[in-house]
Amino acid sequence: MIKIENLSKIYNTGIVSVEALKNINLSIEEREFVSIMGPSGSGKSTLMNILGCLDKPTEGIYELDGESVQDMSDDELAEIRNKKIGFIFQSFNLIPRVNALKNVELPMIYAGVSANQRKERAINALQKVGLEERMHHNPNELSGGQKQRVAIARSLVNNPSLIFADEPTGNLDTKSGNEVMSIFQQLNAEGVTIIMVTHEFDIAMHTKRMIVCRDGKIIEDKPVENQIIIKKQEVSL
Amino acid sequence: MNLLESIKVSLSAIFSNKMRSLLTMLGIIIGISSVITIVALGESSQKVIDEQFEAFGAGFAYFSINWRENYTIRDLLTSDDIDVLKSTFSDEIEAIVPSIYERGTVKSKSQKIDAGIYGGDENYIKIEKVDMIEGRYLSDEDVKGKRQVCIIDKEMALEIFGRSNVLGESLDIEIGGSPISLVIIGTYEKPKTTLQAMGGETIGNVFVPYTTLERITGNGGFYSEFEMSMGKETDIDSLTQKIIRLIEKRHGNEGENKYMVQTAEAELESINKVTGVVTLVIGAIAAISLLVGGIGVMNIMFVSVTERTREIGIRKAIGAKRKDILLQFLVESVIISGIGGIIGTIVGLSLSFVVSSIIRIPPSFSIETVIIAWLFSAGVGVFFGIYPANKASKLNPIDALRYE
Repeated sequence: MIKIENLSKIYNTGIVSVEALKNINLSIEEREFVSIMGPSGSGKSTLMNILGCLDKPTEGIYELDGESVQDMSDDELAEIRNKKIGFIFQSFNLIPRVNALKNVELPMIYAGVSANQRKERAINALQKVGLEERMHHNPNELSGGQKQRVAIARSLVNNPSLIFADEPTGNLDTKSGNEVMSIFQQLNAEGVTIIMVTHEFDIAMHTKRMIVCRDGKIIEDKPVENQIIIKKQEVSL
Repeated sequence: MNLLESIKVSLSAIFSNKMRSLLTMLGIIIGISSVITIVALGESSQKVIDEQFEAFGAGFAYFSINWRENYTIRDLLTSDDIDVLKSTFSDEIEAIVPSIYERGTVKSKSQKIDAGIYGGDENYIKIEKVDMIEGRYLSDEDVKGKRQVCIIDKEMALEIFGRSNVLGESLDIEIGGSPISLVIIGTYEKPKTTLQAMGGETIGNVFVPYTTLERITGNGGFYSEFEMSMGKETDIDSLTQKIIRLIEKRHGNEGENKYMVQTAEAELESINKVTGVVTLVIGAIAAISLLVGGIGVMNIMFVSVTERTREIGIRKAIGAKRKDILLQFLVESVIISGIGGIIGTIVGLSLSFVVSSIIRIPPSFSIETVIIAWLFSAGVGVFFGIYPANKASKLNPIDALRYE
């Protein structure tokens, strides 16, 4: 599903150029649940941005579902993000002025889905994360865990094959964090590929494969032994 | 994202910042309403001028010696010229008289009043229109007999005699130093037209047979000017050209450009030019306030873009293309200007109605002005919105998402 070869990213500030990623090779198959770990400055966020089609590599090849994306225009990348990728951020990144339902509908607006269908699919997605009762609340009326569940619902509505989560539990308490990881495990079981950036080892232990970055290189890539599985009854969705 | 969605998103953004949106609109409201007021008032006064000319000046022409050229006594107009014109163009010409005007002083018991003394004939009423109240107008016999009769306006009668029924009274008047006594044969209502009010015409006008006036001043037979009025259907330009050619032929000065003609239509045109320029200049000044309003819109759009940088990042991350973001902010700016334009139009029209009722001219409402104003305010929205919207659409999603 994801194949990158000899991928480099160099940030040029004019005076100094920083090589954030150095000759990375990586492939991720469908239905995987991968965590990317590493200290700050390790290049994990840069890798995530490139994998998520938010940024373009300086050199190298990136194939997503057999399509070369490294040379696509901004608008073509926007369409890929819209159709194939769902994003979940540490700071939730919901639009504050509109309610949960409208936030979840947003990706479908850009996909050109009709209003009736949008509402139906958004409600379904909110049901999936157990928030249909709060769909008319604005983000400031929701707890952190609830906000992140809205964000997950939003990432799911266009039925993406791939979900990127950037420190999804970073701003949450343990209980809410567990809820989020439980949802991820369920989604993964249903066939969604998930790639998650985190610096917490405990959180990474919930995934199936762990990639560790340092100084712009992948220094470790191994399956997770003793994966922590959250049973459904432990979480009250 | 289609236009309808953009409009919904923009409206929610506008309503979430009510005060700010309103203040931004205020700039546009003031700009549009002042432009509308000026243009509407300009149109109203145009209408008034047109109507006045229609009532008093249509079909009027004024011939004279061309003052820019040298002329001799040979070129001066004569009473024979007038008689020939009268018979040659009897179908077209309603009235034609030599234009003789003198300043005089009317003596009453206690004071002296300045008066304008006009020479006329029985048809002069068609050129200088008056409403008779009492008595009769000048007659053919008055002119032929050089009778010492006159017509005065009611206000002058009240001023001098203290009453309005003054028929048969004699009016003592001094013209060019020579005193003369005239019998009053009629009184008329002093016209209260806007044009005369504009001209500051406050002194009384006395009408006497032009032959009588000639005898008093002693320079009869030759004229430098005459006035005439023509029937409504007459082609004024071609008739006046024919008349000039005929007069030139009679005086043997063809092609020497000795005569000139002024028509009410030509004067109306030049007045319209002036009022048009005045309206344009004041309108341009008002348009500057619209420009300032537009800059206000641009400024607030920049604030809006900066404030929502993160939102732009989110939208881009989940699939918004450049044109989606561009459209969202452009629509927002057009809506602010558009609503401002609608309110401004209403305010401007009400203001012009109030002002025209204060200065007593009929209000003018033209749908063209309103449409132009709306299009213009929407145009302001596009023009001043495109730069901030373009800036928003170009934001890099990663930087935008990191923006605090």
